[in-house]
Amino acid sequence: MTFPILTTTLLAPILAALIIVFLPKENDKLCKSVAAVGTGIALALSLYVYFGYDQSVGGLQWVDFGQPVPWIKDLGVTWYMAVDGLSLPMLLLTNLIGFTAVFASWNVTHRAKELMILLLVLIAGVMGTFIAQDLFIFLLFYEIVVIPIYIMVVIWGSSKRVTKEYAGMKLTIYLLMGSAFLLAGVIALFVNSVNITGIADMSFEGLAQVAFPEQLQIYLFALLLIGFGSLLSMWPFHSWSPDGYAGAPTAVSMIHAGILKKIGGYGLIRLAIVVLPLGARFWAPYMAVLGVIGVAYAAMGALAQKDLKYVVGYSSVSHMGYVLLGLASLGIIGINGAVAAMFAHGVMAALFFSMIGFIYERTHTRWIPDMGGLAHYTPKLAVGFMMAGMASLGLPGLITFIPEFTIFVETFKVFGLLAVIGIAGIIITALYVLRAAANTLFGPARPEFSHIKDLKGPEMVPLIVLGTVLVVGGILPSLLFDMIDSGVAPLLAHINDVLQIGGR
Amino acid sequence: MNIDFSLITTEIALAILGLAIFTLGLIIPRSARKGLGNIALLGLIIVLGIAVYSWPNQGETLGGMYIVDHFSSFFKIVGLVAAILVVFGFRRYVAANVGNYLEYYSTIVFATLGMIVMISAGDFITLYLGLELMTISFIVLVAFRSFDVKSLEAGIKYLLLAGMSSAVLLYGLSLVYGATGTILFAEVAQSIIDGSGGLLLIIGLVMLIAGLGFKVSAAPFHMWSPDVYEGAPTSVTAFLATGSKAASFAILIRVFVGSLTGIQEHWVMLVAVLAALSMLIGNLIAIPQTNIKRMLAYSSVAQAGYIMVGIVAASQSGVKGVMFYSFIYVFATMGAFTVVAAVYNKIKSDEIADYAGLAQRAPLAATVLLVCMLSMAGIPLLAGFVGKFYLFMAIVDGYMWLVLLGLIMSMVSVYYYLRVVLVMFRDDPVDPTPLKMETSVTITLLIALGVTVFLGIYPGPLSEIANTAAQSFFTP
Amino acid sequence: MGTGLNPSYFIGLSAALFAIGMYGALSKRNIISVLISIELMLCAVNINLVAFNKFLTPDAFLGQIFAIFIITVAAAEVGLGLALIIAISRRRETNNLDDLNWLRW
Repeated sequence: MTFPILTTTLLAPILAALIIVFLPKENDKLCKSVAAVGTGIALALSLYVYFGYDQSVGGLQWVDFGQPVPWIKDLGVTWYMAVDGLSLPMLLLTNLIGFTAVFASWNVTHRAKELMILLLVLIAGVMGTFIAQDLFIFLLFYEIVVIPIYIMVVIWGSSKRVTKEYAGMKLTIYLLMGSAFLLAGVIALFVNSVNITGIADMSFEGLAQVAFPEQLQIYLFALLLIGFGSLLSMWPFHSWSPDGYAGAPTAVSMIHAGILKKIGGYGLIRLAIVVLPLGARFWAPYMAVLGVIGVAYAAMGALAQKDLKYVVGYSSVSHMGYVLLGLASLGIIGINGAVAAMFAHGVMAALFFSMIGFIYERTHTRWIPDMGGLAHYTPKLAVGFMMAGMASLGLPGLITFIPEFTIFVETFKVFGLLAVIGIAGIIITALYVLRAAANTLFGPARPEFSHIKDLKGPEMVPLIVLGTVLVVGGILPSLLFDMIDSGVAPLLAHINDVLQIGGR
Repeated sequence: MNIDFSLITTEIALAILGLAIFTLGLIIPRSARKGLGNIALLGLIIVLGIAVYSWPNQGETLGGMYIVDHFSSFFKIVGLVAAILVVFGFRRYVAANVGNYLEYYSTIVFATLGMIVMISAGDFITLYLGLELMTISFIVLVAFRSFDVKSLEAGIKYLLLAGMSSAVLLYGLSLVYGATGTILFAEVAQSIIDGSGGLLLIIGLVMLIAGLGFKVSAAPFHMWSPDVYEGAPTSVTAFLATGSKAASFAILIRVFVGSLTGIQEHWVMLVAVLAALSMLIGNLIAIPQTNIKRMLAYSSVAQAGYIMVGIVAASQSGVKGVMFYSFIYVFATMGAFTVVAAVYNKIKSDEIADYAGLAQRAPLAATVLLVCMLSMAGIPLLAGFVGKFYLFMAIVDGYMWLVLLGLIMSMVSVYYYLRVVLVMFRDDPVDPTPLKMETSVTITLLIALGVTVFLGIYPGPLSEIANTAAQSFFTP
Repeated sequence: MGTGLNPSYFIGLSAALFAIGMYGALSKRNIISVLISIELMLCAVNINLVAFNKFLTPDAFLGQIFAIFIITVAAAEVGLGLALIIAISRRRETNNLDDLNWLRW
């Protein structure tokens, strides 16, 4: 019996939320501090786990209680919390963003207590999906996040081009519809696995060993692809993403763009590709096409936007297109790149949204033509914005460069022309990021913004934490890549075995 | 004929309780009758204890007319739990809005007795008697606010439509009797296996589906439920939506899965279509509703659709799914209606618009309503998700279209549930004074919340019990 | 059987009666007429039961017993129905279903 460190990490925010329930409504500083402590503990624990993971051994480590604890016997569900090189970056990312999201909402005074409770529940939910090695437990956490997000959007969101009610409902319904397909796929997957093996086992490891017939794999993979794809904002299921982010409050945008979307990519690898390799082989070209369409379409879309949040919203759809492209390559370098790209984009998008949130709090506008010259008054804010922007266009030296590069290396081998179209997307990215930065931050100083203050105190936390990760990840990519490789390599080896045996 | 009384202790105790409340109420002075609620509560808890204690008892009595197995015991416990929650959680509501404690509480007990008899029925006569005892008690209860025209109208509508559906059901039963020459479920099953059948049986079958479909308010036989749910006192609505529905599902399973399995190919598709229709109609018509009781009525039509999925499977896993779902459905529905009644007590309105800012005025009530509705929609970490998982698992081989439809429709249901959430959580209240809930209401709400969340996270124990019970249904 | 009758006569009669009752219950707007129509449907059931009993299980009185139960319960139901009709007409002086519109039908 080992100490259940992952379950503890999961419970830290929940415990903090429970404490906040009993705090007085008026004392919102105290509520925020408790939330910061809760997420801080979770972040510290996940850092400890990350650096305590033995990469030379690989595989699932830090198994809570030493072994899976039986949970629902007749479904073969176990409380199986463990991490490998695939989960760990995601876990770390969740807690990085969760921690900073608390500080990004430091200035919210309207019903702050409720905001913190929902935020903590949301963080715990997302964390759960990444550490659960059991499909059923994964599903439990997968959908729970939708409802807090809805409530947060309709209470603390903002109505600009679309009302926050519309944005919240669109976000919710899209994700739930996707999850309906996912759930149908999962149920069919489980029932068929029981029919084939005669044993009910819901762990990802167990399901991966089941030899599903090829036709079934193709059919189930399609259901899972719709489910995870709509969470990953895969074209054509992406339209919730810009609207949703625009309506959402800063913390939700950060978490949603930063980590929630990544559950889609994570699920595609962990469940769809590993358990259904034959299905993956069938659908991979289509995934690549959808990914490239997503890259190009969303980049064009971002170019046409004048609202900062829409720009970043479309840009995140575009970045997820790269992830999909990397996954579709079904090669180790491509998938490594895709996972790293998810991590990198998470950090970058969270930083971006927190900076936009601070700008909006100060200027009460996100409309690019209305702004300009902000760097004169808010140099620190400008630094954060520029870092996020440079990371978005994949500047070497920042964390996003190497993942994107590896994705292209692999996909060019596999898909050729498609990869070239994808690379072209980078040029458009550079165009809209630089345009947004130039029109917002630079140019002549505007007197109407002379009263606004630069970042200070707790507001610096997102910039420092996320900025550090952006730079360190860019300079020392091996910190991230070795970890991911130790997780992806065994999975890929398994897939290749299956493809060779079941291949034509 | 030997009568094994040990098998029907629960029923005897319940009948005694009903009569005792009635007699006692006549003896004591009118002003003391308020205490009858406590007596009914205590009595029902004792009966529940008896029912749980007699779980190991299995067998048939009265010459096969009365079947006691784990399956029936399970549904009896569900019915009794519903009755207890109704008596406990709505005390204040009954005192303020219903009155007539004597008749009210004894009728509740008799309605429960009707359910329990029906659940254990082994032949058509027992089925009919249990069904009518329940229905007639409910007609009285629905029309109980005799000073309120809405309640009376709901009562007469329920009476007429229930009478019509009973007639259709009986006609179906008489045709099945004509086709097989027996009224015992077990012998009907045997006779069908031996080859009796033909047109009479098929027509009878269709009429049985129509008659029982009315009781569970499956579309297209659901027209009564919104009106009756809205007009009836909220406590009765809650009982109607939980106990009556669970008992009707029990008998639906007993008749179709237990006794008409031999001609499965004739009814499975029909039930599947009814299930699909209920999900579609229930969820889609719930969207524009402005009265929360009507909205919950339509959502309960949709719930009936989900539960019927388990009957389509006609297998042990399907029956198990129905049992699991019925159990959690009782708590979710009770929680929701308790909130509705408690809020009505304070603000005298059932309109969704008047729930504005409830999250700030009564945080617990708003949270429970949120959790219960989301459980019905099947959002994870709540019991409804596990329930739907079990139900849809049973039919995924062969009825994938129904699985997809069901899951998509339950996501649609999130849409109208969230509209209530929107009003409760986003809006600021017109009158910010906190609503103080009575202790009994608070406890009921906490029970509903606790069970819904606990079974959502750790459903193991209940699912094992349901599994045992479903097993006893197939291998007596 | 020796009586020259066969079950199809009874089935035909009861089916006709049931259909008439059903039609009446669905088309009549007067509450009392609807109640009467429901009684007709129940009568059809009783005829069925008694006839089947005679032809199928002449030794056991299953059908007859069932029919007696139905008659008894139906009486209780009608009694309740009339009580409700009286309560309603006191308040609204109507016994027409179309006037019952406090609830959206």
